[in-house]
Amino acid sequence: MEIEFTLNGRRRRVDVRPNELLLNLLRDDLHLTGAKYGCGIGECGACTVLLDGAPILSCLTLAAEVDGREVITIEGIAKGWNLDAVQEAFIEEGAVQCGFCTPGFILTTEALLRENPDPSEEEIREYLKGNFCRCTGYVNIIKAVKTAASRLRQARNQTSKEQTP
Amino acid sequence: MEINKVNTHIIPVEFEYHAPTNLKDALELLSKHGAEARLLAGGTDLLVKMKQRLIEPKHIINVKKIDELKGIVEEDGLRMGAATKLRTIERSEVVKERFPLLGEAVRVIGSVQVRNMATVGGNLCNASPAADAAVALVALDAEARIIGPEGVRVVPMEAFFKGPGQTVLRPDELLTGISVPYLPEGTGTSFIKIGRTSLDIATINIGAVLVMEGGVVKDCRIALGAVAPTPIRVGKAEAFLRGKKLTDEVIGAAAEMVAGGIRPITDIRATAEYRREASKALTRDALTIAGKRSRRR
Amino acid sequence: MYASDISLPHMLHARVLKSPHPRARVRSIDVSGAEAMGAVAVTFEETPNVRFCPRLVSTPEATYKDWLVLTGEPLYVGEPIAAVAAETEEEAQRALEAIEVEFDVGEASFDALDSMKPGKPLLHRTVLLKDDEIEVENNVGCELEIEEGNIEAGFAGSDVVVEREYRTNRRYHDQLETKSVVVNPQPNGGITLWNTTQTIHNTRLLLHQIFGIPMGKINVKKAALGGSFGSSIQTNVVVPIAVALALKAGRPVRLSYTREEDLYDHVSYQMIFRLKTGATRDGKLKAGRLEAFLDIGAHQIQAYPLLGCVVGWWVSLYKLPNMKYVGKAVYTNKVPSCAFRGYGNPQITWAVESTMDELAEALDIDPIEFRLRNYVGMGDIFWGQGPKVKSVIRSCGVEEILRKGAKLIGWGDRPRPGEQKGRYRRGIGMGRGFHTSSAGAAVPSTVVDYSGAMLKVNEDGTLDYVTAMMDCGGGTMDAHAKIIAEEIGVPLENVNVVIADTQTTVYDVNTHASRGVYAGGGAAHKVAKKVKEKILDYAAKLLDAYPHTLKIRPDEGLGQGVVYAEGVEGREITIGEITSTARYKNWGTIAAVESLRQGSCPPHFTGYFVEVEVDTETGVAKLGRVVAGADIGTVINPILAAGQIHGGFAMGWSMTTLEDTAYDPVTGCLMNRGFVTDYKLPTSRDMPPLDDFTVFFADTYEPTGPFGAKGVGEGALNPVAGAVANAIYDALGIRFFELPITPSKILKALGEKEDG
Repeated sequence: MEIEFTLNGRRRRVDVRPNELLLNLLRDDLHLTGAKYGCGIGECGACTVLLDGAPILSCLTLAAEVDGREVITIEGIAKGWNLDAVQEAFIEEGAVQCGFCTPGFILTTEALLRENPDPSEEEIREYLKGNFCRCTGYVNIIKAVKTAASRLRQARNQTSKEQTP
Repeated sequence: MEINKVNTHIIPVEFEYHAPTNLKDALELLSKHGAEARLLAGGTDLLVKMKQRLIEPKHIINVKKIDELKGIVEEDGLRMGAATKLRTIERSEVVKERFPLLGEAVRVIGSVQVRNMATVGGNLCNASPAADAAVALVALDAEARIIGPEGVRVVPMEAFFKGPGQTVLRPDELLTGISVPYLPEGTGTSFIKIGRTSLDIATINIGAVLVMEGGVVKDCRIALGAVAPTPIRVGKAEAFLRGKKLTDEVIGAAAEMVAGGIRPITDIRATAEYRREASKALTRDALTIAGKRSRRR
Repeated sequence: MYASDISLPHMLHARVLKSPHPRARVRSIDVSGAEAMGAVAVTFEETPNVRFCPRLVSTPEATYKDWLVLTGEPLYVGEPIAAVAAETEEEAQRALEAIEVEFDVGEASFDALDSMKPGKPLLHRTVLLKDDEIEVENNVGCELEIEEGNIEAGFAGSDVVVEREYRTNRRYHDQLETKSVVVNPQPNGGITLWNTTQTIHNTRLLLHQIFGIPMGKINVKKAALGGSFGSSIQTNVVVPIAVALALKAGRPVRLSYTREEDLYDHVSYQMIFRLKTGATRDGKLKAGRLEAFLDIGAHQIQAYPLLGCVVGWWVSLYKLPNMKYVGKAVYTNKVPSCAFRGYGNPQITWAVESTMDELAEALDIDPIEFRLRNYVGMGDIFWGQGPKVKSVIRSCGVEEILRKGAKLIGWGDRPRPGEQKGRYRRGIGMGRGFHTSSAGAAVPSTVVDYSGAMLKVNEDGTLDYVTAMMDCGGGTMDAHAKIIAEEIGVPLENVNVVIADTQTTVYDVNTHASRGVYAGGGAAHKVAKKVKEKILDYAAKLLDAYPHTLKIRPDEGLGQGVVYAEGVEGREITIGEITSTARYKNWGTIAAVESLRQGSCPPHFTGYFVEVEVDTETGVAKLGRVVAGADIGTVINPILAAGQIHGGFAMGWSMTTLEDTAYDPVTGCLMNRGFVTDYKLPTSRDMPPLDDFTVFFADTYEPTGPFGAKGVGEGALNPVAGAVANAIYDALGIRFFELPITPSKILKALGEKEDG
């Protein structure tokens, strides 16, 4: 069946089978390999993408379900060569070791900071608990989220200052 | 050769996909396909079972486009559509204000990602004896609203579950919503879950509702999960508490009754002995917290 | 790009037919159903009948071979028997299910001690060592016995003796990227491939051994690796299977395991220790006896070397004037075991650190003092990889770690074990350990350990660094680039780490044994020195100066390394100018290729101080504060080094309290059926707040390491279980001799203590 959806800002029309998973549509058909297969049963978060802005598990979502909706993957976060604040912070804070969990963490973080621009450490840990990492012990990841949050808040204050005559 | 049939990369079974936009069409599909059909809500249980080859439905009916099944309203209490996302319930102001027990339970289900997908109806119909929302709703004396070809029927939450993975739903029926009565003044509630980590199916969980009046327990409901084939209430302990003051001794005695009234098994998560022993502390903690909260209202 | 991300045009997707029985013989197999669907199928009947060992780190006399690519006599549930490849994964799955197999099922054993009993069916009658068939008795795949001094006298002369049996868990690596490979067959009969590996050269070597393809025609390309922790030191089973399929199909093949297949693919070594230790009143260890049983699963990957490493770790923790070691590696019908971060060191350190605390308590000596009186440190001999790989320790920060860590955690204020009566009981425990930095030594041994590197200078003054070493997340490549930039004197951005393959690199044995910086970086250092020499030679000609008087400094403004004559105005030139001039003058490229064998394997040291709080009514142990100290010599990348400590700690906490893969004693299947729903690991919510986790580095310098550096990867994990177990003892006054220490076990033990 045919579905039409917005992927990283672009309208796409694709033909999908009923039992096709969103994760495999992205990785195999659309060559966006940022979303990863980690477990297939919703336990690790490596397949996280944003559906209408909300983080979901693409390994447990039928491709058919995104018809008429908006999907953002990690490939849609940077603008050309410009990484966004969350990506920069992850690199700077040493939050990337093997990197396999990183796309999932970044997307979940993007959603967190949009919902809650000034999260406490506890709120960060709670929000990210669906993203699993075997390398870092999470310390540098939490630091990165805090750094990104602080920079985004600063940028927002800056913009609003500039807008005020 | 089950090991060669499981494949979590893909959904290793083929099916016809339906996405009805109204209840009537959904019911027609259910009538037509009966046991060969499964309802798709969040997918976090259904799709996992299909990948594990535990079920192989030939028809999948996505219920998320049916407006009557979504949303939270207040109508003599709380009314939630069965296809309401857990995250919606978690963030609902009316749930936070008037049904904190439900909010507490929903908040510890899975992760943010899971709660953005999973629905309360799906959680109930999956009928895991450990389901957190089920335990909370049993303690809250909720009712399941069911629709079928013969019309609507209402089933008390406790009677909705028949066994692990089994509910009273007939193959041509659909859970449309859950209604939860308001709690009277002077009620305190609590929900506690023990898991191996912060992201886990409950090893054991408990939901407690204490209605206090004049410093004495007027009514109470204690529901536990993962200690029997379905979420259960321990009537003996509830009856014991009615009319009593909430002293440490009374709470302790109730906890012993709960431990005696549950039928836990040993599984990969914990031993039966552990569950029985831990249920005492869980009961004591839940009643103590609920008691404190009742005084605040 | 990870191996599991690689996609080639015309690529087929593969699936493996796995044994559903823990022990069986295939009576018949019929793939016609699969082939009728258009799939390509291979069975054990057509893959090379060449027995091999998938790990090629040891020399032939220590390499036991009992594997086949595909087998008709599976010895564990999950063992590959056949495989198919089809246009899509779904079609491959259907083809897989169309294969018909008949089995004659045999008797299986699932416990190492049980497996050794006389009369138990043998998993292997013989195992191949070089060209000899070695008889296997009582399912003991290999054994090792070492004795030094006189333990009878030693124990007789001891005032206190502690004797315990310790049983570890069978942990699964759960590296986030499952084992994967993409093979592209070439028209010349060769193959190009990407796989989840810690060693592209050993992958090539093994495929050459199995398939006979000349090594020059096998090209293994580097890919990013989504975590490994030792599970890809060996070439994973998916690789030769995919090669067989690709060669038959004449098309590229991708084989990527599902998570449940990955759980049936590899696992750590479960160990049973009978440890007896004696000490005298003055707090000195007198004798030690260790009987170690390694449950290695159905095949050997590195059991024999591991036997040597276990005794090596044991005797390198604390000085034992008299010791006896008996180690046996035992076959069981379970998933084959392989190295897991620490390679036996986390297991033995848990046992030893528990024993040390028991001895200290019996002797009424502070546990830290007791350790300081006995630890193997500066100037002592250290067994880096068993009895054949030894070094003298030339840098050691153990005392600094223990004293500073004790202060930071408030060691003096910790509760007295077993005295608390309330519901919530707090405890503080410590554990110390170490790990080797590579397996280097002054003489050759049975362990191959060397690295190779190539460095060339481009015509614009930037450098290309080419190495076969893998970076699985430890920041190894970053460190190498820093070492090169520092040695030569160029801005860091000018060092370009090339994504290479076996055709363009010289041999590197493996990224393991915490050797990435020490050995690999050592090779980078060596090659950088050579290149610097040549730069100065060319510069000397152009500057009319003497090469040995010239220096190089990085100039961020110019973005170049600048060669200059000290004290002489204006006598300088950028490296870019040198190399572009060299091109016009036809002098040749400045380049160097070098191999490096480190002459030692200096230990890096770590110590953990852990606070826990146990709820005695639910058995749940909660983490409090953690203080971690590490001696890793010069810290080349502080943020990433700390990251290793954080990750090692999380892994150790999880090892102690959560992880295990248990087997159904009837079916031989995993109790969790391969699903991580029941292989729990900590989430971000389960780890302590940032303010409660302190990491510090000791101030040391390793004279044999590049710029004084040592490793850190495995030392970060090794002592954690001991520290956590000791903390739980401090809280409850109860010791546990079996991992993991779960709430069920804690509550049970508390109940028994109360009754007793």
